[in-house]
Amino acid sequence: MAEWLLEILSEEIPARMQPGAQLQLKTLAETHLNNAGLGFEEIKTYVTPRRLVLVVQGLSLEIPEKSEEKKGPLVTAPQAAIEGFLKTNAIAREQCVVRPTPKGDGLFILKTIPAQQTYAALPEIALAILKGFSWPKSMRWGAQPTPWVRPIRGLLSLFEGKIVPFTYAGVTTSNTTYGHRFLAPGPFTVKDFKEYERELEKHFVMLEWDDRRHFIKKNVAELAEQSNLAPLNDDALLDEVAGLVEWPIALKGTMDARFMDLPREVITTPMRHHQRYFPLENTQGNLAAEFIIISNTKATDDGKTIVVGNERVLRARLADAEFFWKQDLKMPLVHFNEALKTRLFHQHLGSLFDKVQRLVDLSTRLAKTIGANASLVARAALLSKADLASQMVAEFPELQGIMGKYYAQHQGEPAEVAQALEEQYWPKGTDGHLPQAVPSLLLGLADRLDTLIGFFTIGATPTGSKDPYALRRAALGVISLCLAANFKFSIREALMWAYDAYPWADLPAPILKPKEEAVAQVWNFLLERFKFFLKDKQGSAYDHVEAVLSVAHDNPSFADLALRTKALDQLMGGEDGQNLLAAYKRAANILTIEEEKEKRPYTGDVREASLETPEEKQLFKELQDKAPKIEECIANGDFVQAVQSLAGLRPFVDQFFNKVVVNVEDAKVRETRLQLLALLRKTLHQVADFSKIEG
Amino acid sequence: MSLDFQTLILTLSTFWSDQGCVILQPYDAEVGAGTFHPATTLKALGPKPWRAAYVQPSRRPADGRYGENPNRLYRHHQFQAILKPAPDDIQTLYLESLKHIGVDPTRHDIRFVEDDWESPTLGAAGLGWEVWIDGQEITQFTYFQQVGGIPCDPVPVEITYGLERLASILQGLENVYDLAWNSPTGNQPMTYGDVAFQMEKEFSAFSFEHLDVAMTLRHFEDAEKMANELIRNKLVLPAYEYCLKASHLFNLLDARGVVSVTERANYIGRVRAIARQCCELWMEENHG
Repeated sequence: MAEWLLEILSEEIPARMQPGAQLQLKTLAETHLNNAGLGFEEIKTYVTPRRLVLVVQGLSLEIPEKSEEKKGPLVTAPQAAIEGFLKTNAIAREQCVVRPTPKGDGLFILKTIPAQQTYAALPEIALAILKGFSWPKSMRWGAQPTPWVRPIRGLLSLFEGKIVPFTYAGVTTSNTTYGHRFLAPGPFTVKDFKEYERELEKHFVMLEWDDRRHFIKKNVAELAEQSNLAPLNDDALLDEVAGLVEWPIALKGTMDARFMDLPREVITTPMRHHQRYFPLENTQGNLAAEFIIISNTKATDDGKTIVVGNERVLRARLADAEFFWKQDLKMPLVHFNEALKTRLFHQHLGSLFDKVQRLVDLSTRLAKTIGANASLVARAALLSKADLASQMVAEFPELQGIMGKYYAQHQGEPAEVAQALEEQYWPKGTDGHLPQAVPSLLLGLADRLDTLIGFFTIGATPTGSKDPYALRRAALGVISLCLAANFKFSIREALMWAYDAYPWADLPAPILKPKEEAVAQVWNFLLERFKFFLKDKQGSAYDHVEAVLSVAHDNPSFADLALRTKALDQLMGGEDGQNLLAAYKRAANILTIEEEKEKRPYTGDVREASLETPEEKQLFKELQDKAPKIEECIANGDFVQAVQSLAGLRPFVDQFFNKVVVNVEDAKVRETRLQLLALLRKTLHQVADFSKIEG
Repeated sequence: MSLDFQTLILTLSTFWSDQGCVILQPYDAEVGAGTFHPATTLKALGPKPWRAAYVQPSRRPADGRYGENPNRLYRHHQFQAILKPAPDDIQTLYLESLKHIGVDPTRHDIRFVEDDWESPTLGAAGLGWEVWIDGQEITQFTYFQQVGGIPCDPVPVEITYGLERLASILQGLENVYDLAWNSPTGNQPMTYGDVAFQMEKEFSAFSFEHLDVAMTLRHFEDAEKMANELIRNKLVLPAYEYCLKASHLFNLLDARGVVSVTERANYIGRVRAIARQCCELWMEENHG
């Protein structure tokens, strides 16, 4: 059993790509070792800003002998085919063997691949791994054509202490590498992974990404603790910083007290996004003047110079922000709308100011529909995009909405209005916070409906992976908001209003779809996203959603559809549901055949007097009892109860199929039984179209 | 002792001169960045080896602040080194240059932070980093992958030092106008403000208040026409110069806020079209 160590030393790998690269290297190594028939016990990979490392433990010393057979044409095949096969494989007819195949005797080539020393096979495997590697973005360098994420400057590859010789991207393997760029700049040699790891530690490189992340997290917390403070939770920042350093050292900086009056996000945004500092807060949750810097070096002056430098950079950024804050406050928020007149929403959909006017209109209608305070919503809509023209948002685009909230608060707008300015953009990710206040929900909904209908009308719909206007995200937003608010109004109608709010005749769009078509397209697009959404959020199978959608009335609410699908998921997860489905399919098959033969539908119109057997009578009674109950449950939105009623039908359906023959001679009896099956089908369809369910 | 502004320039010049770079003078037309100098844009293309370094005063009309902001300037200075092909030890060389100007890596935190560079106006793109010293970006370090839409082969490296920021770090000063331009202990000490303040103030007023928009729009059209005419006559350097003029005129209009989002893309596209043709002509005529 042996060990193979491979290190690709490069110039700094972007932090965001490191975790993915670590995983990919492992997968590729597994694949190529398996392909080569090479056994191993364990593969581990590591990544730092400058190196990507693979270590395979428990490798066999040799790849055992393998035999391979290759099937050729039948012996009776045309001569040309046989000759072609022999030629491609550079083999004579006599060297082939003849074996029986199901189609007759065939020609076969039997090859024995001799055993190979692992050491001799590794260069090819290493090259296959490197060539197979794909970075999100890669580059060429110098005069050689091979791409990598950044220039490769060293390859270390050792098998049992011996260098595995190969060359990639103009770099030849060795047993030498480098440690930390500044703390231990000279080269050193190693003979195995144990020594490699130990030497790296001595040369100020923490090899394991998780270790660095953990170390940073711990040190930030400890340093904060010394001042009775705690860092804000920020996993993304920890991930990123772990990819920026090989030897993390936490240092504490302090900002000037005069900046403490700025809104919290105005301070934390440059700290986190631009400088990668960790902001701290006190036990009351107030932002502290102290912050933590993670440097990549242990400086000889204990970091004094580094702290002074970083404080200076932050001061310059905050001084800018302070200036913007003061400038922006000089003008009432609504005045910024003036600047939105020259800012395009889309070249064929007018300016942002035009959008604001449509939002006032649409959100007012929505508010009236649900009986909410329309004047509050209209006010929020009027101010909704004003902050986009502020100097602060121009400098820090991440602060859109957030600045709107602060400026609104500052000029004494109602709390719900200020809140809506921020929350109109929620949810921010797939699992982001959802707003609860009605003005926020309505404004967010109106904004997305306006965007969706606008782009669909001018034919700018997403195709494949291309979704430049983030319409998929907008659609998911609509769904999430409707579910969060339990809105029951018709989204289709709201889309019509959104359509009507555009002055289409004045817009220069080359394509303009008529209202019905645009609304139908957006609605279908929403339903398509809804399937993904339910799958993601409650694990509903696509066919269950289909089954529910196909019996829902024209204007179902997303809230009802989600509940109904969930109930169906539960039913189908159990034995009752599966049996019921089997019975449904049986009934539906019989009916389809008969309906096609007779060219008429069976509607479930059962003549009670013609029922003969107790099983028929019982099933009929059950169906008659259940139908109105199910209808009532559905009307009340109690889908769980509706579905339980269906499940209760199961024994009667089973009995029926066990005892009763449908296709009998007597036409009247047969007719009655078919109608009974149709009644069963109809009853089940109250909840879902079971024919859409795969079973 | 920390370096004054002009000694910083001299030191970097000497350093890159020692690496075989020809030391050039700034291009004598208005440009937004050192990259626009034909010694970078055009010379980055083609197989012939090339090493050059120079200072390039760079005008960003939108960043003009009448001399009132301690960090933002209508015109700042870049020190640019371009080496084709990029030598294998270029990162080490670069770090060496920092030591020469007095950045002690045992006391500072020097980092390479991902930043892929792109110039839509030049149809140019590359991969590389911003280099940070103690959280301050002081250099753009880029391996060019294409210029004027043409792939670079071999690949050059472009190193662009922001001289004001670098000097601020070296001199430990926060206001650019306080920087020592020459030796503070010499016969006639001058600050950055002494040398550049008036320009900042007047050019900010010019571009934000007095720029004649209609006239500038006409000048843009003229520059574009001239460039196309020169391209037809295969005079690549003069054509490229008119490309630079068009680019600067566009920057003036943009800073004035008279270019809408759609028009913006359109103007940039027009400049890029000229730049692309210049680069193509450069290659056709085997100048690279």
